[in-house]
Amino acid sequence: MKKNNSVLLSTPYLIWMVAFTLIPLCVVGFYALTDPATGKFTFDNLKNLDAYLPVFWQSVAYSVVSAFICLLMGYPVAYFIAHQKPVAQKFLYMLVMLPMCMSFLLRTLAWVGLLQDTGIINTFLGRLGIGPISMIRTPGAVVLGMVYNYLPYMILPLYSTLVKIDHRLVEAAEDLGCNGAKVFSKVIFPLSLPGIVTGITMVFVPAVSTFYISQKLGGTETVLIGDVIERQFKQGNNPNLGAALSLVLMLLVFVCTGIMNRFAGDDEEGGVIV
Amino acid sequence: MKRANRLITILIFIFLYIPMAVLIVASFNTGKDIAHFESFTWNRYIELFQDDGLLNLLANSLIVAVLSTSIATVFGTVAAVGIHNLKPRMRKIAMTLTNIPMTNPDIVTGVSLSLLFVFVGTRMLGQRDSLTFWTLLIAHITFSLPYVVLNVMPKLHQMDNSLVDAAMDLGCTPMQSFFKVTIHEIMPGIVTGAIMAFTMSLDDFVISYFVSGLDFTTLPVEIYSYTKKPIQPKVYAMFTLMFLLIFLLMVISNLLQLGGEQRKTRSRGAASERSAGRIVKIAVAGAAALAIVVGCAIFIGNNGAEPPVVSEYTMTELPAGPEESVTINVYNWGQYIADGSDDSLDIIAAFEEAYPNIKVNYSTYDSNEIMYSKLANGGITVDVIIPSDYMIARLISENMLLELNFDNIPNYQYIDETFRNTSFDPENKYSVPYTWGTVGIIYNSKYVDEADVTGWELLWNEKYTDKILMFGNSRDAFGITQYMLGYDVNTTDEGELTECAQYLMEQKPVLQQYVMDEIFGIMQNEEAWIAPYYAGDYLTMAEENPALSFYLPEHQGFNLFIDSICIPSCAKEKEAAELFINFLCDPKISAANMEWVCYSTPISEAKQFLDPEVAESEISYPAAEKLIKASSYAFLNPETTRTVEAMFMEVRNSR
Amino acid sequence: MSKELIRLQNLTMEFDGERILDGINLYINDHEFLTLLGPSGCGKSTTLRIIGGFLTPTDGNVLFDGERINDVPAYRRQINTVFQRYALFPHLDVYDNIAFGLRVAKVPKDEIHERVTRMLEVVSLRGYENRKINALSGGQQQRVAIARALVNEPKVLLLDEPLGALDLRLRKDMQNELKRIQQATGITFIYVTHDQEEALSMSDTIVVMNKGRIQQIGKPEDIYNEPKNAFVADFIGESNILDGVMLSDYRVRFFGKTFPCVDKGFEPSEPVDVVIRPEDIDIVPPAEGSLTGTVASVTFKGLNYDIIVEVKGFKWLIQTTDFHPVGAVIGIRLNPEDIHIMHKSEYSGQFGDYSSYSAEYDELTEDAGDEEE
Repeated sequence: MKKNNSVLLSTPYLIWMVAFTLIPLCVVGFYALTDPATGKFTFDNLKNLDAYLPVFWQSVAYSVVSAFICLLMGYPVAYFIAHQKPVAQKFLYMLVMLPMCMSFLLRTLAWVGLLQDTGIINTFLGRLGIGPISMIRTPGAVVLGMVYNYLPYMILPLYSTLVKIDHRLVEAAEDLGCNGAKVFSKVIFPLSLPGIVTGITMVFVPAVSTFYISQKLGGTETVLIGDVIERQFKQGNNPNLGAALSLVLMLLVFVCTGIMNRFAGDDEEGGVIV
Repeated sequence: MKRANRLITILIFIFLYIPMAVLIVASFNTGKDIAHFESFTWNRYIELFQDDGLLNLLANSLIVAVLSTSIATVFGTVAAVGIHNLKPRMRKIAMTLTNIPMTNPDIVTGVSLSLLFVFVGTRMLGQRDSLTFWTLLIAHITFSLPYVVLNVMPKLHQMDNSLVDAAMDLGCTPMQSFFKVTIHEIMPGIVTGAIMAFTMSLDDFVISYFVSGLDFTTLPVEIYSYTKKPIQPKVYAMFTLMFLLIFLLMVISNLLQLGGEQRKTRSRGAASERSAGRIVKIAVAGAAALAIVVGCAIFIGNNGAEPPVVSEYTMTELPAGPEESVTINVYNWGQYIADGSDDSLDIIAAFEEAYPNIKVNYSTYDSNEIMYSKLANGGITVDVIIPSDYMIARLISENMLLELNFDNIPNYQYIDETFRNTSFDPENKYSVPYTWGTVGIIYNSKYVDEADVTGWELLWNEKYTDKILMFGNSRDAFGITQYMLGYDVNTTDEGELTECAQYLMEQKPVLQQYVMDEIFGIMQNEEAWIAPYYAGDYLTMAEENPALSFYLPEHQGFNLFIDSICIPSCAKEKEAAELFINFLCDPKISAANMEWVCYSTPISEAKQFLDPEVAESEISYPAAEKLIKASSYAFLNPETTRTVEAMFMEVRNSR
Repeated sequence: MSKELIRLQNLTMEFDGERILDGINLYINDHEFLTLLGPSGCGKSTTLRIIGGFLTPTDGNVLFDGERINDVPAYRRQINTVFQRYALFPHLDVYDNIAFGLRVAKVPKDEIHERVTRMLEVVSLRGYENRKINALSGGQQQRVAIARALVNEPKVLLLDEPLGALDLRLRKDMQNELKRIQQATGITFIYVTHDQEEALSMSDTIVVMNKGRIQQIGKPEDIYNEPKNAFVADFIGESNILDGVMLSDYRVRFFGKTFPCVDKGFEPSEPVDVVIRPEDIDIVPPAEGSLTGTVASVTFKGLNYDIIVEVKGFKWLIQTTDFHPVGAVIGIRLNPEDIHIMHKSEYSGQFGDYSSYSAEYDELTEDAGDEEE
């Protein structure tokens, strides 16, 4: 391909992306800086945001905890899959993928059926003479919903990096005196760091902005930033405040992912694509 | 170590699959509650295939997914080739742009696109419905593109550049060398990107939720509104079928790939290209299989549904319909029109039968405020809405309603005098009453001590902590507090409102959750015991769970509401909408409708067609002396409305 | 000779019912440079991996200093390995790769620094401490791999085709380098290769293996000069292998003639394989030769000519510095010390006939060797 063709080929794409990603963000900025009633320029929307600081913190806390739990749960699974025979690997990979293809709304709803006071688990416990234990509408239930929904997003990139680790590196480490635990901490873990970072980002970003999970599994106290934004747009009829909140959420996510990527070291561009 | 790992893996797979197993089991349940299996049935599947709406939504989702994926794949591949050859600085800019939708939370992408479409479409171009199929498609293409680009780019990097040189050396033009060489080398990336784009598009809820209008939505968006209503078990049947289909597709593609790999070891050349081709074939086969299933389903569905015979169901002569076919968007409360279930009359089907040229596109909201936000945000076309009194007053004051042409609504004559000349529409210009009713407390007599049922303060009773529900909309929530505190429900006094907000804040710890239409399932399966709600809906719930009782705090006062049918100013098909209103006001139709909805009809003429038990019901038609302290919500001035809304948001959003 | 360090007793290894090693018995002395030599799939790498502790033998014992170490994991053996294609840690730089084993062993920091620096000197990589592994050439990576293993001062160093990925020039340099390092450190080297020249030039002892069995163990000269069977004779250098009959001690008969030789100890009239190295054959005028033949082809090889001579239907390979044109009739003279007699073995008749000789033959076998594992 000639060089000037490349401009011809890429320009429509660039225009499209500017039109439908950058400009919309500018519109969000515009709404964030105008008054809902008068339409005049104002900083009030942004100034009022400090009231939502606790909600931001709560969202970050929940999603960090979820990402961490996903890592703890996902690592053994990814490790196990990466060490199976190729046929078994394919099959298990598919089993991890499958839930991602199914409606997450309904799957979350199933957790409501499982966890609620009159739900499946409590009915079962009731037969054993225990409970009912209140599980739903607790912070734990929201974290569980996040872990459940986003665990595959952790497992898949982890698996991709783990499966690429040359087995001879493990042997080399053993040869140099590492027992199982040390092989893990000195070789496997550092080599899987890009996968960990991708996994954590892929769990953190949707978790920090979710509203469905907290609506269904959370109580009146578990308000997340996604809830607030959704409610401003869909009921509160205050898109300006919603826009301001969205803007801050976006900055928050960019800062967090930026820190994560720095943490992983950016020797290879792109990281892992699942 | 290894054994522990295996155990953990098995447990986590169980964890991942249990909720899906729950949904699959629920699809064979005769009962509606997901948590209690009553007995086995195939009926959910039959219901599913008779439900055009659900299948159409599935078709919508597939159309959007197929179109957006195809466009994004071609567009993205071409773009990737272009970007690959750009100068490093430009390439970096392009990749940053590509990464924005990947890193941005879905909700921000959705919000930003919907604001853009409304801003450009409505504010700048003056379009009424700027949120259409096309904007949805643009949104899907936008978030699909990066998947294609990011999967194709690495393949271009890996490709040996001398291959293209070789092709040109052998006489290919740049174009030919792309199609003869490059495309084969990057095919695996294109296929992976396309598959990811397709699944993302098919499954997307958040972005579609913000971007779609009323006349074209996808399955996930509608499922979201289903999960807010008492969910119909046929949705579980659909889930089960999708699960099986995807599982089969995955297994088959795995097996084929396996076969391909065994052959690959024998002949190495061209194997990757062939396997890529195979994946495409699988995808095509899968799409075809899906299309066949959907086709069959629609066929069965169409054959299965019995068309209602109109003349039997209407009392009055209907005015003639339009010559050309039109579609009207009806936007109504959830659970607020008879839909054919439980042996009721399917009102919309009956209307479409009476007017073959009018197609009804039906969607629901669960509070006046949600409906108002949707209209006020703009970007949509709605022909019929059914708001409550105070909201009608607000809509009128903000010029958001059209005056009705009563020539097209002859059945207006049947509306009782009591419901004319109302405070919210004194000249009867904008609204036709649909139902009326009261707001009271629904409680479960199994768990709630009758001695505690003394008034609205029951909703603050710590004894029932975590078993109490509260209205999820500001007007009803504030109204209840005002009745309890003895304040005027239409007050604009900021001090009184602040005090109410204080009370609502205090209520939060004892509350289980804020609800609207989710209430049905929660009260019926006794997850919660106490809730304020509309009398008509109490009757619906009581049919399912006889332990539920209804209490009207006569001494403190309560809301008496009238929900009326209106045509908003964004309507496109006013005349057809008026015909629809007229149809709803036919006494016989109203009766059939109210039998199912359980609300009270404003048409006395209709009572003769009602089940006498319903017509005599104290709850639906309370005696006049009970209504002494009843009052209606009036429209507060815009500023107070905004204050109340903001206060309520603050209550709900605080932690 | 120094004391014995490693002994393999009746080592057997099976994968999926396939026997990879079949009764390997071998001892390795301290300070020895021992090479396992054989074609791909002969079991040499498997043997090495068993010694290294990465595989557990199906049957038999591995003794280290007289103790059975079958079940001792790799990380507790005083043995280090230089892996095929190096297996360097990509997330660490040169210094950290070399220091890896010392850090695991919790060696004090100062000492690590001192030993790593010394080792960098040994492999001439001073100044490369902070380089990323990916930024090194193949030869440099090779030296890092050797340094990483040696810095731990193992009793035994295992090298699995360590030079396989290098080009010819670099390979020669590294051969000398390795030999020098081995002599300087006095560490026992167990070296796996399929390259016979490499084996001959570096080793104290060569173990020739094929099909999971040891064919011959000996000093390079012995292996070359007194191959035990047709396989060894063919694998180590070029050989003409003929059917013969041992008439009595020092007398062998082939091609209808009786030749004097230096071998003895065979049964009277025992059928034997007769090995004659191409470079040992003297070309003389036809009248002076004990055999006569016609030149069938000539290939110039730089140092010498490879001549294929047809003698009574058998094609001999002869290496000579004198040119003889195709079609010329020449005489062949064999000295008694050039005739090597071997017992018949399973390999008799498979090797040593150059009727289908071509220059590519050698290259093909080398390619096959590269693909091992």
